Amino acid sequence: MRSLTLAMGAAGLLLWPWAAPRYFVFLASLIVVNAIVAIGLNLLSGYTNQLSFGHAGFLAVGAYTAAIVATRAPGAPVVVALLAAALVTALVGLLLGVPCLRLEGLYLAMATLAFGFVVVEAILNLDGLTRGNDGLRVPAARLGPWALATDGARYYLVLVVGAAMVWAALNLVRTRTGRALLAIRESEVAAQASGIHVARYKTLAFVISALYTGVAGGLFAFVVGFLSPDAFDVFLSVDFIAMIILGGLGSVPGSMAGAAVLTVLNDSLAGFQNYRPLVFGAILIASMLFMPGGIASAARRFRAPLAGHPRVAPGSRPGPE
Amino acid sequence: MTTAALVHVVVSGLATGSIYALMALSLVIVYNATRTLNFAQGEMLMVSTFAGWTVYAHVKLPLVVVMLIAVAAAALLGWLIERVIIRHAIAATHFDLLIITLGLSLVLRAAAGLAWTHDEFPFPSFFGTRPIALGPVRLAPVSLGIVGASLTLMLGLWALFTRTRLGRAMRAVAQNQRAARLVGISVERVYAASWVLASVVGAIAGVLIAPVIFLSSQMGFVTINGFIAAVLGGFGSMPGAVVGGMLLGVIENLAPLYLPSSIKHSVPFLMLIAILLIRPAGVLGRVTRPKV
Repeated sequence: MRSLTLAMGAAGLLLWPWAAPRYFVFLASLIVVNAIVAIGLNLLSGYTNQLSFGHAGFLAVGAYTAAIVATRAPGAPVVVALLAAALVTALVGLLLGVPCLRLEGLYLAMATLAFGFVVVEAILNLDGLTRGNDGLRVPAARLGPWALATDGARYYLVLVVGAAMVWAALNLVRTRTGRALLAIRESEVAAQASGIHVARYKTLAFVISALYTGVAGGLFAFVVGFLSPDAFDVFLSVDFIAMIILGGLGSVPGSMAGAAVLTVLNDSLAGFQNYRPLVFGAILIASMLFMPGGIASAARRFRAPLAGHPRVAPGSRPGPE
Repeated sequence: MTTAALVHVVVSGLATGSIYALMALSLVIVYNATRTLNFAQGEMLMVSTFAGWTVYAHVKLPLVVVMLIAVAAAALLGWLIERVIIRHAIAATHFDLLIITLGLSLVLRAAAGLAWTHDEFPFPSFFGTRPIALGPVRLAPVSLGIVGASLTLMLGLWALFTRTRLGRAMRAVAQNQRAARLVGISVERVYAASWVLASVVGAIAGVLIAPVIFLSSQMGFVTINGFIAAVLGGFGSMPGAVVGGMLLGVIENLAPLYLPSSIKHSVPFLMLIAILLIRPAGVLGRVTRPKV
């Protein structure tokens, strides 16, 4: 049953560019990109309880790195550009994560918020590299002799990378590292007492989260084809937070569901810009008040009685996947 | 740079600083009661200022009345938000409350945009525009007015927190909620009072600053500097909020004189990052160690 659903889902994703109009292929690529960011953010916020308001900054670092590599080295394969984006962003994540070890809760939120602003200012000031306010045109991604110049080709690129990232995340959360991150979320003191090196794992969470977001940024650059600093403002960071809150903190499938719902919603509200924050804000409040644990735990509660498992006790905080 | 010009820059820095201080105070008041950072503080300030302005636009009432209307609107808004939303999440973690206020800020800003458009409106000022000459120093009346009004309000708050029963109850809850409940303080009433008080302080700051930065749905962003001021002073400490606000205002106004103009906008954020790295507890905050 489960493998059948998975196989049908995979087939649907693979056939999508043939079935859907061009714009919806683009939208699907955007959903995958956002899902990668949401997973990355969730590994940091949902798993280790470190809320970040600066992920738009990481996305910008990744996007600009990939775009600059692709511009300066025209023949380089897309893998190189994405690897560069991943490495540079992970390094930035390390540089931000180490001083942030001293901070928690709202201090961390403020520091990451400030990081997001500083990244945008840096892009504006480094206009030799980034072309500042004029924006940066991104050349088509190259894979050996081919240029991925159509929406369909870009979709497959994003899909393959996205699938790898999801697979890696699903495995990561079941390893020693994933368990350590969860232990830190539940109680730092208890985690430390059980021999978990809290500082090391918290930094690691920052680095992995930045790496995910950097890869997503690189993909974003190729999908969108044009970068400008105002696309990476704090509201984008808030959108990412909304995705993991709606999807479910501490859940990889939840992150994907939240990213899909909010990306589609964002797109359908494009003609009603004034209502967009109203809807997103209401979703944030409603998820917190009525659906803590997000889509992931709602789905779990819905599925549990069917499979003969006991219902989750009402009001209990849902556990992670 | 002459001394007179320097004094001018410092005084206008103190004026911006007192606004930051008021915003930091309203954040700290809510934080001390509900242990959450109220992301919607700036938007509450904006909506209350708009409420006052709407009345002013229809009937040209004296400005004092406009301010009272803004304060009344703020009190109502603060009470409503606490009662309808925050109270229901009383068992939630700080993380959850932070997200709720974040959602609230989005909703309020969008709602204000729908009600009053996203344009900028000029707001009437209490103070004239003719500079006041003190010897060689020429000062803008609006700077002096803002500093004076803010100091008066801070004095009032100080009296409230040290001299009244409610103020003492609020401080008790800030120190230890369970102990406060044990000695018969209604923690729920302190919650409500804190939200109302913070909202009112914000509204006064809004009416004072609106003539300077214009009234618009985006004016709530000025509170980000209030956050930074509160962190600079030590989050949770009220004298710290005042000191942090003044410090931030003066440094922000002085920095462009000595630094390249390109990093002018980053100054508050660089200060935030610096203080978090060097002394996360802030200038006046106490370093606390978590107990197991």
